[in-house]
Amino acid sequence: MNLAPPGYGWIAPAFVLSVGVIYFCIAYSAYISTQEWKGGSAGGTFVGFENYAEALGNPLFWGALRHTLIFFLLVSATQIGMGIVFAAMLHSQVRLAVVYKVIIFMPVVIAPAIMAPVHRAVFASDGPINWILIHIGLGDLAQPWLAQTSTSLLVVIAVQIWSTIGFAFILFYAAMGQIEPEVVEAARIDGAGNVRLLWAIVVPSVRGTIFALLILNVIAALKLFDYPYLLTRGGPVYTSDFLGTYIFREAVSLSNLGYASALAILLLILAVAISVVVSLRSREREVVRADV
Amino acid sequence: MFESRSTLSRVFLQAALTFMVIPFLIPLYVMVHGSFQGQGLGNYEAVLAVPGLALFFRNSAFIALCTIGIVYVTTMMAAFGFSKLRVRRREVFFWMMLAALTLPEVVLLSPLFAMAAEVGLYNTFWAVIIPIAALQVPFTVLLTRIYVDGIPDDLFEAARIDGAGTLRMFWHLLLPLSRPMAVAVVVLVLINTWNAYLLPLVFLIDPSYQVVTLLPQYFQGQYNDDQTKVLAGALLTALPTIIAYISLQKYFERGLAAGALK
Repeated sequence: MNLAPPGYGWIAPAFVLSVGVIYFCIAYSAYISTQEWKGGSAGGTFVGFENYAEALGNPLFWGALRHTLIFFLLVSATQIGMGIVFAAMLHSQVRLAVVYKVIIFMPVVIAPAIMAPVHRAVFASDGPINWILIHIGLGDLAQPWLAQTSTSLLVVIAVQIWSTIGFAFILFYAAMGQIEPEVVEAARIDGAGNVRLLWAIVVPSVRGTIFALLILNVIAALKLFDYPYLLTRGGPVYTSDFLGTYIFREAVSLSNLGYASALAILLLILAVAISVVVSLRSREREVVRADV
Repeated sequence: MFESRSTLSRVFLQAALTFMVIPFLIPLYVMVHGSFQGQGLGNYEAVLAVPGLALFFRNSAFIALCTIGIVYVTTMMAAFGFSKLRVRRREVFFWMMLAALTLPEVVLLSPLFAMAAEVGLYNTFWAVIIPIAALQVPFTVLLTRIYVDGIPDDLFEAARIDGAGTLRMFWHLLLPLSRPMAVAVVVLVLINTWNAYLLPLVFLIDPSYQVVTLLPQYFQGQYNDDQTKVLAGALLTALPTIIAYISLQKYFERGLAAGALK
């Protein structure tokens, strides 16, 4: 539309708001990260890349990254697997489908901050998880889930899975609605059973959704804060620490702004690098598919 | 999708599904059951008697309304500009905005914190509204632009030939035609803002400025970790969201799914 009136004024507010605030914060973060900056607006002294060197040499940083990776893998696998199964089941002839949909999706809309005390009660030593284990004869497995180093990360992951399966489910449910009934019918006539149908027809046709969920999960894992902070404070002994809780602790609790900013910039580099790699690879794949 | 020919397999499917959703119900059960332990309904009376409880909700509603207003107006304008008006190097501007999509909130923490005392960010709603809005806008602009791209240019062309100005096109064509996407944007921003925790935790320190996501820790402080009242508080705080979701089910699901279905 070359004859269209100019639109600069129309994009300006959104542009100034997002690009202005965000790029300013990134630039300011980059500046602070080269400083030894203790306390609020006191200012700092220049230390070059010392904060970065300190972060890269700190086992807490690598620990947080390792937890992020474990979190990403377990959450993605469970969420995608269960999401597909729930969506396929609810596309079949079940009664009260709406009720099941609401139950599965409800956790997505409730704030983590509000549910966190409830999850703490669920995983408490005298909570229902241990109660169930004891009553089905697995009493040996009952343990203080949140308070021990071996299970704290698993609890954070389990709670995140609880609150995001519904999201994956809704996406898969919508994607499966797009599958042509004729294709399913043809597979049936060829004698495909339920499992075969799921593998050969359903999973390939929701590949785009799986891919989108993987990207969203990378970002979610990198920016994770609410649940680990509220459930375990990243502990005990940093066993459920993530970059989000680490940066918060350094910036807010310890007022170590220079170091926190260096961590934030490293996080940003990681997030941008992963998104670029992923979107390039997805474009490559599209090109390949177009050729075929 | 799954075919069940016999009644038996249908019953089996139903039973399997029912069994599989039990884990989703456990926390909800714990919340309801736990909140009636001890003093029973008394827990709710105690929680409701907390002074200024309504204030937490009013503050959250205020922040949500402001953020929705800002995001809605800027998003619709930008989608119109990017999609239907003449902007040179539009893709450069567009990608500059999209680059902010993956930005984690915590990256904003140190700069905002460093300026906080100087600029007076503590206990102002704007310290929460502006960053949240700034983080949402790239995403909502992306969604809405793709939607508006799908509206034929001819409609706007015709309006212009008939002598309509840009403002009239925006008002009489763009806004009504993009309403389905606008609903999704509003729901998405509402949920993200209402559930926001990190920025309010850092900047809204005075109890008279706090929001619903800070209620649990407020209750924990008030009742020395009296579990039953904390759970009653959680239930009361979650209730508006649950009611809103159940009554607007379709819009919530569509709004939250819109993001990934680009």
